[in-house]
Amino acid sequence: MTETRKIESALLDESYYVCTHKSGLEVYVYPKEMTSSYAIFATKYGSVDNRFKLEGDSDFTEVPDGIAHFLEHKLFETEEGEDTFQRYARTGASANAYTSFNQTAYLFSCTDNFYASLEILLDFVTKPYFTDENVKKEQGIIAQEIKMYDDNPGTNLFYGLMGALYEKNKIRTNIAGTVESISHITPEILYKCYNTFYSPSNMILSVCGNVDVERTMELVDKYIKTSEIKKIIRDYPTESPSVFCPRFEKTFSVAKPLFEIGIKDTEISLDPRERAKKNLAVDILNDMLFGKSGKLFNDLYGEGLISRGLGASFEHNLSFSFNAISSESSDPEAVFGRFCDHCEEVKKNGFSKEDFERIKKVIYADIVKSFDSTEEIATNIVWQRFNDCGIFDSVDIIPTIDYDYTKDVFDKLFVPSSYALSIIRNPEE
Amino acid sequence: MKPIKFTIADGITLNVISTRKFKTAQLAINFLVPLRRETAAKNSLLSAVLLRGTAKNPTIADISRKLQSLYAASIAQTNYKRGEVQVFGLYSNFIDSKYSLDGCDILGGTLGMMAEMLFDPYIIDGAFCEEYVEGEKSNLIDKINGRINNKNSYALTRCHEEMCRDEAFGLDILGSEETVKEITHLSLYEHHKEIIEKARIDVFYVGAESPEVILDKVKDMFSGINGRVPEPLSTNVKRSSDSVREIVEYDSVEQTKLSIGFRTGTVLSDSDYYKFSVFSEVYGSGTTSKLFMNVREKLSLCYYCQAVPEAQKGIMVVISGIEAEKYDAAREEILHQLDEVKNGNITDDEFDGAIESLCGDYMRIYDSPDMLEAWYIGRSLAGRCDSPEDAARMIKTVTKEDISEMAKKLTLDTIYTLKPNEEDK
Repeated sequence: MTETRKIESALLDESYYVCTHKSGLEVYVYPKEMTSSYAIFATKYGSVDNRFKLEGDSDFTEVPDGIAHFLEHKLFETEEGEDTFQRYARTGASANAYTSFNQTAYLFSCTDNFYASLEILLDFVTKPYFTDENVKKEQGIIAQEIKMYDDNPGTNLFYGLMGALYEKNKIRTNIAGTVESISHITPEILYKCYNTFYSPSNMILSVCGNVDVERTMELVDKYIKTSEIKKIIRDYPTESPSVFCPRFEKTFSVAKPLFEIGIKDTEISLDPRERAKKNLAVDILNDMLFGKSGKLFNDLYGEGLISRGLGASFEHNLSFSFNAISSESSDPEAVFGRFCDHCEEVKKNGFSKEDFERIKKVIYADIVKSFDSTEEIATNIVWQRFNDCGIFDSVDIIPTIDYDYTKDVFDKLFVPSSYALSIIRNPEE
Repeated sequence: MKPIKFTIADGITLNVISTRKFKTAQLAINFLVPLRRETAAKNSLLSAVLLRGTAKNPTIADISRKLQSLYAASIAQTNYKRGEVQVFGLYSNFIDSKYSLDGCDILGGTLGMMAEMLFDPYIIDGAFCEEYVEGEKSNLIDKINGRINNKNSYALTRCHEEMCRDEAFGLDILGSEETVKEITHLSLYEHHKEIIEKARIDVFYVGAESPEVILDKVKDMFSGINGRVPEPLSTNVKRSSDSVREIVEYDSVEQTKLSIGFRTGTVLSDSDYYKFSVFSEVYGSGTTSKLFMNVREKLSLCYYCQAVPEAQKGIMVVISGIEAEKYDAAREEILHQLDEVKNGNITDDEFDGAIESLCGDYMRIYDSPDMLEAWYIGRSLAGRCDSPEDAARMIKTVTKEDISEMAKKLTLDTIYTLKPNEEDK
């Protein structure tokens, strides 16, 4: 019943297998000669998915903020009472989990006993056990996790920016929720979310290292039950192309003001290959316009307006899309002004073709570099798959990105009405 | 995968780990010097200034363009301490020339750029460019002041500083605002010459190239340098604490950060250090440790609570972030769990889990060029050359009694607490 395909990249000298299990679960098996092997079992379910229904349901269900993350913590609990970490300890695996805006992932890395650890992973993720008591216990731990992030100026800066860019999108809210929102979580709501999003057809298993298809699929057969595949309907709010509010400011004990410039993007193609192409084009733009070889960085750094690099990153997927540029400066407003001027100039005069071709090489090399770690490979597979792409697609797409396409992406993305500025500064200033 | 070691000149060694495992390679040039108040800031500043420009590529933009055309080769600064030794210098990472699309010699180009930075920097009137030095001084001061931004690591650093306030280990590798301000473009240039003459230099390569090829290239880079007398390196170890100090500071934080510092009585150069590694794992590292299982999982007092050892200096700090009103409970439990280990109350699960987990950690080092380099630099400073695989073998001989013995050697030294401001009012 399982279909297996081999996917190869001659350029990268890499290959892997994709197996579609009868349950609908897609399994990626990536043999790689490294000391450690890595497995990640992920569901396409994150903090932004908090209004949803299954095909055939009449009403949408709305759940408290932070529940996907709470569920991630709680899955480690077992009915037998034995702690999951304790089970992993016997196989020597180093296990963890994380929740992002649009996925929840359970993972382990090991240098021995891979299949014994994989069994633990498949077992505990498919056996939820939520009780009033264990939910209450977790509220204390997660409250401290939330407060730890509250004490982090970078987290405040980021969510400040998201709150400025977006009016309704759940990306405005901390992935972990608030101490208040998680107090409303009950075992019933957890089961509801679990039963909706932890169905095999909404999940991916990705393994990389000293692994083979046959043994991996044997375990998948053993643990993954086939059930009726129901379509999940997620309700994401519609956002205007303009920012919700152009400025966010908060005081915090930091040495120097931190700032992050955000550019909201509502042009999100339904074609995954087009999304991947645009993503790479903006990566090129970010490196070319804000990187260390670019004029803006060198001017600002030379004048002492910034004391480290400008970090730029573009997030582009079906539920949100934004570009963000951050650093620290004694005068964030001045930097923002220079950023705007710089973008206007690029809009008018374009950018150097020589720079463009050179940065394309950089983006290609960054992809080559990402194939040196079983963790990075297994994680990227999941990330790409949830965006309906394959892990080798990027190297094929890069040559198709030309100057005119990239300039067009720039002109549409860098529009002043979609800019927002978030600043964290010391109260004494 | 043990490194092959070559002596390039007096006090300059090259370590090569030649492996086809990675698509990227890395080469680090590390200067190892005693950590001192007078030089910490200069060392930190030096790499930053070297990265600003070379005679042939005088600006960051020039260097950056050159590196980009070498398929995103990167050269960055390293700066950390191992015990009372400051390790700083330049570190490069680049893809194997095999993946170049136009036959570019990526290795040669990157090493050439590193050599330019070190031996042919951008010079004006016989010294570093004043504008660059002043600019980097101000950036370094920002970095020093910016330590407070990350409250978790700040609470750990402050505990180290208070514990070792009369020892070199207590110094910040970045130096202090005052010592940075005293530096001029002239004094830094003199310091550069001194470093080339006096620092111990460890060059470390991990990548696909053969040791012979790397040896030739590195020899070229350091040609003409000889008759060096590097300064000896050592770390002063205080095996036990005489008294307990409590330090409380306030900041605008939501959560109280607690750091409990111990003298461990064991250092990496001791023949039985591997027993300490197992102790530290059982007590406070990872998800099966006593601290995680009890302070977090059983009592839900915190999200993180772990022991952070410093192998060369023989200290260990337990760090945690807790609710202000649960401060006493958390502190008590952290110390209580240590007593449990001292009294030999270690379950089989805790013991086996620690051994398995440590073995995994050691073996994973082979998948990371960075970790391999850090491992061997640490070992060589402690006068050892055992590999991660050797360490994994050794810990399997440790018994529960050994762990209790190690725990008994610990003495409490300093308790540092960063509290929310409101409490102060």
